[in-house]
Amino acid sequence: MSEAAHTESHDHGHHEGLPGTIGHVTPVSTLIKVILSLLVLTVITVAIAQVDLGKFNIVGAVGVACIKATIVSLWFMHLRYDKRFNFWILVGSMLLVAWMIGYILFDTALYQNNLREYKQDKAAPATP
Amino acid sequence: MSTATDNHASQTLPARPKELAMHFDNLHQQFHSGKLGMWLFLGQELLFFCGLFTAYAVYRGNHQDLFHYCHWFLDWKLGAVNTVVLLVSSLTAAWSVRCAQLEQRTGLLITLALTFICAGAFMVVKYFEYTHKLHIGATWGGSFSVATEDLPAQLLERYPDMTGEKLKTMGAGTFFAIYFCMTGLHGIHVLVGMGIYIWLFIRALKGHFNRRYYGAVDNVALYWHIVDIIWIFLFPMLYLIG
Amino acid sequence: MAGGVVEKPADPAAGGDVYRPLAVNYINKFKGIGNWLITLDHKRIGIMYLGAVTFALLLGGLFAILLRTELLFPGTAANPEVIASNDWYNKFFTLHGAVMVFLFIIPGIPASMGNFILPMQLGAKDLALPRVNLMSLWLYWIGTVFFIGVLVLGGLDTGWTLYPPYSSGRDVQLTLIFAYTAVFILGFSSILTGLNFIVTMHKLRPPGMGMYDMPLFLWALYATSLIQVLATPVIGITLGLSIVEHLFKIGIFLPEYGGDPVMYQHFFWFYSHPAVYIMVLPAMGVQSEIIATFSRKHVFGYKAIAWSSIAIAAIGFIVWGHHMFVSGQSPTAGIIFSFLTFLVAIPSAIKVFNWVATLYKGSIDLKTPMIYGLNFIYLFGVGGLTGLFLASTANNVHLHDTYFVIAHFHMVMVGSVLNAFLGGVHLWWPKMTGRMYSEFWGRIAAIFVFLGFNLAFMPQFVAGTRGMPRRYANYLDEFTIFHQLSTIGAYLLGLGVVIQVTYLIHSLFKGKQAPPNPWGASSLEWQSDSPPDHHNFTAKPIVMGPYDYENWEYVSENRGWVLKREVVETRKTLAKADH
Repeated sequence: MSEAAHTESHDHGHHEGLPGTIGHVTPVSTLIKVILSLLVLTVITVAIAQVDLGKFNIVGAVGVACIKATIVSLWFMHLRYDKRFNFWILVGSMLLVAWMIGYILFDTALYQNNLREYKQDKAAPATP
Repeated sequence: MSTATDNHASQTLPARPKELAMHFDNLHQQFHSGKLGMWLFLGQELLFFCGLFTAYAVYRGNHQDLFHYCHWFLDWKLGAVNTVVLLVSSLTAAWSVRCAQLEQRTGLLITLALTFICAGAFMVVKYFEYTHKLHIGATWGGSFSVATEDLPAQLLERYPDMTGEKLKTMGAGTFFAIYFCMTGLHGIHVLVGMGIYIWLFIRALKGHFNRRYYGAVDNVALYWHIVDIIWIFLFPMLYLIG
Repeated sequence: MAGGVVEKPADPAAGGDVYRPLAVNYINKFKGIGNWLITLDHKRIGIMYLGAVTFALLLGGLFAILLRTELLFPGTAANPEVIASNDWYNKFFTLHGAVMVFLFIIPGIPASMGNFILPMQLGAKDLALPRVNLMSLWLYWIGTVFFIGVLVLGGLDTGWTLYPPYSSGRDVQLTLIFAYTAVFILGFSSILTGLNFIVTMHKLRPPGMGMYDMPLFLWALYATSLIQVLATPVIGITLGLSIVEHLFKIGIFLPEYGGDPVMYQHFFWFYSHPAVYIMVLPAMGVQSEIIATFSRKHVFGYKAIAWSSIAIAAIGFIVWGHHMFVSGQSPTAGIIFSFLTFLVAIPSAIKVFNWVATLYKGSIDLKTPMIYGLNFIYLFGVGGLTGLFLASTANNVHLHDTYFVIAHFHMVMVGSVLNAFLGGVHLWWPKMTGRMYSEFWGRIAAIFVFLGFNLAFMPQFVAGTRGMPRRYANYLDEFTIFHQLSTIGAYLLGLGVVIQVTYLIHSLFKGKQAPPNPWGASSLEWQSDSPPDHHNFTAKPIVMGPYDYENWEYVSENRGWVLKREVVETRKTLAKADH
């Protein structure tokens, strides 16, 4: 991954742009497609929320948000054309985020029972 | 280092571009170093926000009814407007990178300015949302006290016997603590972004950027997209689902 | 070229056997304090960091001496105080912990030696992002100022972890807010350093140096940096929320406003457990360099050591709950964390075995850094193995918050990190300053540190298993002997550090001129002058394996070790063939 001996030939995928441009130039058509799909997904997420799906409301909301985030990162943030390592940084930090939220949620859900029992025990002597 | 020239290299090699810092070999190396640094910073940002998302998940898990009642306080229409505004600013940010790459100076200036304006519009909407909540007393922790007549109509429609006092004893302050922390931290990021866009605009005006030296535009756009992505999650989680 | 080819027989015209240091080096290139404060030179930033963390070490050490002195005698009911009130005792251990952890151990090795040595080991002119580096230094200073503010405003008694049950239930406490702010800012200093290191290692390696050709110190710094970038923001948000919480009473962690204090511990240890590896991984990196250099032998199991660093970093993220076995975490989570914690032993042991295997049949040279290296193996062994006792939940319930825990983590964190820090300072002192320190006093001090350290903490293991709880200002008479031995040990350790500071400062003025490579080490920084040029190297260094000691030969005390002539010739020919 050393850049010291980098040559022009390593750059790939510019269909347009001036000679020697660094990086990938996103065509206007792609930009427009991306923003339109993001707006459509926003409408969808609002629509889903109007229907009461119980627990599935949050699944739907976060799911659509994940799709939107993926679209933004792949095209607006150029990850589709960028160095692979940048992509892995994003994936790695998302995994850690998921691990932290998941595990703490799991644990706090479990110790709520202990708290409830404790409160009941504490309340018990008052009403013999 | 303190001096940007490198005497040893300049004698043997062709003239170095003036944008190239002395410790890099070429502009490619410099560009991709900056970009890798920015991506690592963004990874850091995600974990920074992660704490708040965890707090949200934990309190939502333990107080589902509370989140259900309280989300009516947030006007989803204003949230949706802000979502669209931020998405558009993301488009202009991405477009500004394209303009910098193609050396379209006017286009670059316009897209940078538009990004800044959208960010400003976002903050204006945010300002009205905040002042309304502070006004009716929908605030954090123990300071939460909303008169029953100030409760959102949609909430009273569904639960006619709901009172402000009831919400307070249920711990509505916690919901608003999380709401203000999450949107507040996001808002701070938007304000920082606005500041940086002013700096970029001035640099673009001075003609600092070209097709081989536009790392600043690209990296700030990356930052801006992450701010956008975080809002993409905040909007449905806070405004839409109850 | 510096440290380059020596003419044999000595060529009088070329200066013969006398090494002439550069007239203009990074220290005297620019003059004035203002130049230092805004410098982008990684070497100067590294030196300033070294000064700052040494100051923190002495400050934290002073608190340690104070609290050990308080524990010299058991208090009686009539007269509980030895030198300080119980209230002040609480402040001593809080400040000792906080200063040592946040100002010394975490930034210690990476920010000082990492900053100075990392670009040089890559043959680069600077870190990839010099301005980010300067910003990190300034953030460190600002954080330090806030910590000094805590001291000036009357101290803090929550323990270094700042747990909500101790930090809540009172009016807004300015020192507490200051402490949160300090750690918040120091966190960002740490993130920026880590980020910079990763970018530099990816982008500034010279042609011909792959990831597997880097010295193991750099692999260790790489793993450290990953943790710094990915874990530190979590403490940032935790303390940021705590500040907001104390100022506005919002109820995220504080129970009196409806918050959850156990969640604070989850957040805190999600960072602070990986932070233990931020401390120890760079120390292991220094250790790999020292052991290989002074055994004059290619390090055993290069890839195993390299990847065990990464493994430790990764496992570090999944074990934080073992700090919370008795804090109200659910038993299920406790069991899972207990199992995961045992995993850490595997990569740690891989490292220790590889160091020992490197020593095997090496030609061991007991120079000062090597003595620290051997200290490290022993102390880390004891500390690591006692960690296994604590990882099992059944033992942990009994040993939790006793002196056993204190002794365990001091063995690991101080035993290894302090020894590696001191070893690293001695290893690179000639490169950084251009001066040799007194080898005699160096060895004496190293032995003091070793003896003092063992005397200070071995009795604490015993006291802990017999039930001596941590953080108490007084104790029962039966513990007197353990506490007194421990205090004497702390004094010895302190004496060792004072001796070092004295002779190191002395060497700056009276020390002999150091040759470019006094140890015969083979990583690239030894091909530069001592002290190095402003741009690090006056000629491009010859890229070769970091442990190819056979390429170097000893000439004289004055010239040190130089590259063998045939090595230089071969490399030149190869370079021509490449073109």
